[in-house]
Amino acid sequence: MQRRPASIALLAFFLVTVGLFCLFAPNFATTSNFENLMSGFSFVAILAMGQSFPILLRGIDLSIGAMVALAGMVAFDLTMLFHVPGYLILPLVLIAATGAGAINGILIVYLRLQPFIATLATLAAYRGVVYAISGRLLIPKLATTPITDPWIVGIETYFDIGGALGISDYVHLPWFPLSFFLMIAIFITFQLLLLSTKLGRDIYTVGGNQEAARLAGINTRRITIFTYAISGFCAGVAALVLVARLTTSTEALGTGMELTAISAAVIGGVSLQGGIGSMFGPVIGAFLLGVVLIGLTLLGASQYVQQILTGAILLAAVCYDRYLVVQRQRRAAANVGANT
Amino acid sequence: MIARWNLKSSAKLSKLAPYALPLAIVFIVIMFSIAEPAFLKPENLIGIIHQMNLIGIMAVAMTFVIMTGGVDLSVGPVLAISGLTAFFAMDAGLGLPIAIAAALGVGILIGTINGTLVAIFGLPPIIVTLAMLSIVRGLALIWGGPEWHLIRDQDAFTFIGTGHIGGISFSIILLLVFAGAVMFVQKRTPIGLIVAGIGENERAAYLSGHRVRLTKIAIYGLSGMGAALAGIVQSSQVHTSAAVYGEFGTELDVIAAIVLGGTSLMGGNGSIGRTLIGVIFLGVINNGMNILNVTLDIQLITKGVIIVLAMALSELT
Repeated sequence: MQRRPASIALLAFFLVTVGLFCLFAPNFATTSNFENLMSGFSFVAILAMGQSFPILLRGIDLSIGAMVALAGMVAFDLTMLFHVPGYLILPLVLIAATGAGAINGILIVYLRLQPFIATLATLAAYRGVVYAISGRLLIPKLATTPITDPWIVGIETYFDIGGALGISDYVHLPWFPLSFFLMIAIFITFQLLLLSTKLGRDIYTVGGNQEAARLAGINTRRITIFTYAISGFCAGVAALVLVARLTTSTEALGTGMELTAISAAVIGGVSLQGGIGSMFGPVIGAFLLGVVLIGLTLLGASQYVQQILTGAILLAAVCYDRYLVVQRQRRAAANVGANT
Repeated sequence: MIARWNLKSSAKLSKLAPYALPLAIVFIVIMFSIAEPAFLKPENLIGIIHQMNLIGIMAVAMTFVIMTGGVDLSVGPVLAISGLTAFFAMDAGLGLPIAIAAALGVGILIGTINGTLVAIFGLPPIIVTLAMLSIVRGLALIWGGPEWHLIRDQDAFTFIGTGHIGGISFSIILLLVFAGAVMFVQKRTPIGLIVAGIGENERAAYLSGHRVRLTKIAIYGLSGMGAALAGIVQSSQVHTSAAVYGEFGTELDVIAAIVLGGTSLMGGNGSIGRTLIGVIFLGVINNGMNILNVTLDIQLITKGVIIVLAMALSELT
């Protein structure tokens, strides 16, 4: 169970970035901007936490964008075509997304596919399923009808924390979106799971050395399937947040999100070598991406520059990850040398 | 269960494996022609090859990368930016050879950057090329904008994609010549063996004194060049270039064709010839489904299932 001191450095870097943008970007240090940041990147943080689990096992999940679309379309169909009540839709959507993730894991474990090939294939397949089950294509009229189910739309609620605490006269706090609290709840649950349960320890062990973990009696297959199911579950939660915001769902929902989620996880110090990382990093990573992208937009950079920058940040993050790995290996080699 | 079954039957299956794909193609062709006799018309069969031309060029170029256990997800945007390069070069009044050299140069440059990051810095190929996908697409969009650029009055350039020599389209000849050249490199030069060696055991290849890093940089460069060539052919075929060409999913088709050809992602195994067979297989399926009016959703699902099946079979045998 290794955690790296880098997370303090990451937090410092995050705060410095926020500070710089507050000073130089117009309208950055406003409550409405922080509201945008929280509502626009809480679900990215959720996706990044989900993505961290496969990466902890040296895998990768390229299909989360397609799973977001799948979960969104399931929600859309259930409420628009079948008029299922919202309190049933929420668990059903999460079950569908978790199932889609578990299928990824099953393909990887039982057909011995490389994670990125398996999830690349399901990326296409799930996107196909989305088109196949799309209620929008079936009844075009529905495409322009907003979802009104209170349980789904209710996810897009904002809370006036400042007002509730009676301090709004002294400080001007942004209104917190429900998705932010969902993110916090998932963060706490996953962090507890990783740090203080046997399952969490097993995940780190399998990620560190799969063969050793198997020989130590850990059911590596079940762990692998579990991590991909978690990734699917997070895609389901993110889909609900998005559907609530758009009050509809589209076939193209979530396209390209795998890039953002992987970036956030890697920036957050989840090592691609497996076995290293916590839930803290991906959350900071997601919001760091958000701060940089929103800050640059306010400074007048085009959407295309943001695309370039997302890629560049991802490259920088893997370079840093690689640097830490090499350093660790040197230190290990030095220790061996000192002992003999 | 599966492991035991695998042990018993692996000997039998591995003997059949080289013939599995051609047999599958024959079987599928027969199925499609029963369902829709128009499938077997010569125009349609030629159409299949035309449709797969671009994928074929990129798949041939990327085979070496896959053989070393890597992957190049950035081919789609590279295709787009090379087409734009050719357009802007010709728009600036430069000659055709310079325009083509510039377009290929851009592809080779991006591929070489990928290769350097993978080989020298030891970064994982998926992440490097995923990041490059985003960066190159952004660059292409800044450079070319979201609109289409019409290529006018460039007869020589148009010939690349639409011309014929002796009744065979030039773009097909281009694919065959390119595949032949890469095949020559694989079979008749040490590079083929070094690539296979890196895929088999990179450390061993390094210790045997092979230039592992240089080879890796070169093969990513080749993959970039293939994407650039495909970009030139596409721009020439449709008389336009645009930053949005090579949309997300192109790399999926390319990788699918290569792995269907039996190139193992675990490295070592693979050949250009079999990649071409994989391309034909994918082309037959795409074309057949189009002719039978199969909807996009089923096409996507089928593609995913086929990749999974092909990979599962090659890992189990």
